[in-house]
Amino acid sequence: MISFLLRRLGASVLLLALVLSAVFFLIHLTPGDPSQLIEDPRMTLEQRANLRRIYGLDRPLIEQYGRWLVATVQGDWGISMVQQRPVARVLGEAILPTLALATTALTIQICVGFLFGFAGALRRDRPLDHLLRAVSLIFFSLPVFWLGLMAILTFSVHWPLLPAGGMRSIGAEALPPLARARDLLAHLILPASVIGLASSGALARFVRSSLIDALGQEHIRMARARGLREWRVVGVHALRYALAPVIQILALGIPTLLSGSFVIEVIFSWPGLGRVGFDAVLGRDYPVVLAGTALAAVLVILFNLFADLGHAALDPRVREGLAAGAR
Amino acid sequence: MKIHLQRSHGLLAMAAMAALAALAIFGSFSCRRTEEASGPAQSATPQSGGSAAIAWTADIGGVNELIVPSSNATNEVLFHVFDHLAEEQPDFTEHAPTMAPLLAKSWEWSADRKSITFHLEEKAVWSDGVPITAEDVRFTWQAQIHPDVGWGDASAKQFITDVEAVDAHTARFHFSRAYAKQMLDANEGVILPKHVWSQIPFSEWRKNGDWFRDHIVTSGPFRLESWKSQQEIVLAKNPRYHRPGRPRLDRVVLRIVPETSSQIAQLLAGEVDFAANVQPTDAPRIEADQRLELLAIPFRNFIFVAWNNQRGGFDDPEIRRALTLGIDRQRIVDTLWGRFAKVAVSPILSFVWAHDKSIQPLPYDPEQARKILAAKGFRDVNGDGVIERGGKPFRFDLTTNAGNQQRIDATVMIQAQLASLGVAAVPRIVEFNSLAAKLEEGDYDAVILGLGMDTSLDLTTMLHTRAIGNGNNLSRYSNEQVDRLIDEAAGQPDIEAMVPLIHRIEAIVQQDQPATYLWESQRLMGVNRRVREVRPSPIYMLWNLHDWWVEPAPGGPAR
Repeated sequence: MISFLLRRLGASVLLLALVLSAVFFLIHLTPGDPSQLIEDPRMTLEQRANLRRIYGLDRPLIEQYGRWLVATVQGDWGISMVQQRPVARVLGEAILPTLALATTALTIQICVGFLFGFAGALRRDRPLDHLLRAVSLIFFSLPVFWLGLMAILTFSVHWPLLPAGGMRSIGAEALPPLARARDLLAHLILPASVIGLASSGALARFVRSSLIDALGQEHIRMARARGLREWRVVGVHALRYALAPVIQILALGIPTLLSGSFVIEVIFSWPGLGRVGFDAVLGRDYPVVLAGTALAAVLVILFNLFADLGHAALDPRVREGLAAGAR
Repeated sequence: MKIHLQRSHGLLAMAAMAALAALAIFGSFSCRRTEEASGPAQSATPQSGGSAAIAWTADIGGVNELIVPSSNATNEVLFHVFDHLAEEQPDFTEHAPTMAPLLAKSWEWSADRKSITFHLEEKAVWSDGVPITAEDVRFTWQAQIHPDVGWGDASAKQFITDVEAVDAHTARFHFSRAYAKQMLDANEGVILPKHVWSQIPFSEWRKNGDWFRDHIVTSGPFRLESWKSQQEIVLAKNPRYHRPGRPRLDRVVLRIVPETSSQIAQLLAGEVDFAANVQPTDAPRIEADQRLELLAIPFRNFIFVAWNNQRGGFDDPEIRRALTLGIDRQRIVDTLWGRFAKVAVSPILSFVWAHDKSIQPLPYDPEQARKILAAKGFRDVNGDGVIERGGKPFRFDLTTNAGNQQRIDATVMIQAQLASLGVAAVPRIVEFNSLAAKLEEGDYDAVILGLGMDTSLDLTTMLHTRAIGNGNNLSRYSNEQVDRLIDEAAGQPDIEAMVPLIHRIEAIVQQDQPATYLWESQRLMGVNRRVREVRPSPIYMLWNLHDWWVEPAPGGPAR
């Protein structure tokens, strides 16, 4: 297993370097640069050239790449060309809001997805199953921006129950800690529910089919034949079998959640990584784009690894395969 | 099995109940602002204190205007944190723009008009109590022109040869020549605090955006109380502000809400008092709500089709005229803006005092357009619906930037209207930065874009030959007579003397149609009536933020 991990780690570092190099050249070769973001109509070509000089964009691309590579290896992600602040700080400020949104959305996704999937599998082809499959399909099919706007119109404007956007109420910082937490949760409910429900549709369908598949397995029939209680058959044996592929799907989806859901962040004015990344791409803020890409790539690689390890932990056949591969 | 089914139902019911409970619990908190915000204002006597919340479209880029990308969102906020020497008044709809004292209480010109002497307000101090002096004015100019600072507006200072600190409260600007917009150029940019910001060399400014944020002292009516990136900016009353009784509000919170529909939702929900970006389609919802008021002000901006005059076909003024005649601009305006825009006619906006009001937009006349094109040799020889000349079809790319739905809609409408003339305009929607690179290189046939116009009446960057590829002469228009008139106008000793020359330029532009001017729109905002004396101007939406005041909440102080 350790050998497997070391091999995966080496491959991951190589993959990360390749991804970042590709993004570096692609973003620099895309037309436009940060000097063109400036709206001032009186900005002359000479002034734009001066800005390019200040940021080193007038140097040959390969030299820029070399400088960037050296700095990155030393842990220096550079200064944002648009905000004139360290990139680490720009991303650092956006990570916590994204983590809060992603974990809440993930909790909703898992709860709803598993609930619907379980109920559907256990009541296969009955009215409840049809109803849940239809609801899952609706969640899966609806565009999140539409769902988000409808949620705001319904729960913020028509029935003003929840805040329409932002991460905290105005003046919330003066509140006691408990009230502040409640305020944060109030702001989280709508965006997290929209992301969670929209992504729970696919999960529910996957859990349902995995569980149906598991319930048809030989060892489940054996377990029932041996007189095990039904909750133990389903909740332990079938679930363990069904969870393995579901965990992989979930693990691969988490980086997307953490990289930020740009549409939802914009609609709900949520200050997360998605908005930072999108603004950086539009503004050709190269250092922020590269650091954001690195973050997303690391997350994808890490969760891929977690998915493999989780799968191995749950499925002995996979464990044996990894051990054989290591030998 | 039955047990599990019941449990499943139970879980569903529990989830539903939990969701309802959560709505009820958290709803009680979020509702509070709605209740407070409702009800018309009672008192007409201005009150001090309280706070207002604004839904703001974009975050500020930073606090040092010389190193942040220039944008309306940033400029408007910094305008209330740092003062200029003087304040340009929004009276340019009636006469030449005037200036009101701000940090400078008065100023005078030298006899040859090659220097202006500003007398600073002695009572004006920075928010840390240090007096604002002529040394700050000189330091600001030095920073503005320093190449390592790279200020985007540095060209405004190109004719200023020196800024002299005559004494603590007297600063003198020396110019290399006298010209009409000297005062505007001298006043361009806010005054910066030398005693704090000179601590780091100019060459390091662009690496230290956060340092300025951490070491901010302000001269304006508000100070920056807090700034959470992409979330909110809190401006608090500057107790040391030199204008008595201002600002009236204790606090202004600008909440960053990029989505316009979300801004409206928050305004309707009472979470904010002012929405800065209202779309025409949302106007009826604001007008229908008695708590709210819709504000519409002229916007110093026009939208136009720039025909690339250096490309075949568009180099002929008659053909450009035919294209303008073939576009039903009134219909585009009615469809996209309703009553909130009008057809544009000139790069000098129609509400500006110096505009020649006798110039009328060319009418929509497709018959006349067809005749002109036929006279120029265009015929649909092969019957494919597209006219040709010399075997070459009249087909071109009509490009606009992604992210602006009105321009995209206009592109499609123009495509359909020109198709009826047999002209094939192919819509191209390009991401803004990529489009900017194309504009710089001249790699386009025609573009739909918008341009802002200040009150200087200087048309150099829009129409002069030397602004082709180096400014905003996006039509790449070149006319020696216009160049001469622009140069002559720019050299006039005062702005009033420019007007006859501007009128002649407008007449030539009307004749040449280097661009088809589509519309001038109004800027729409929504405001809760509990906030009083909200008077946006064409210069700034938050023009008189220091005058805003709020009604005290029933039974308590102003919020």
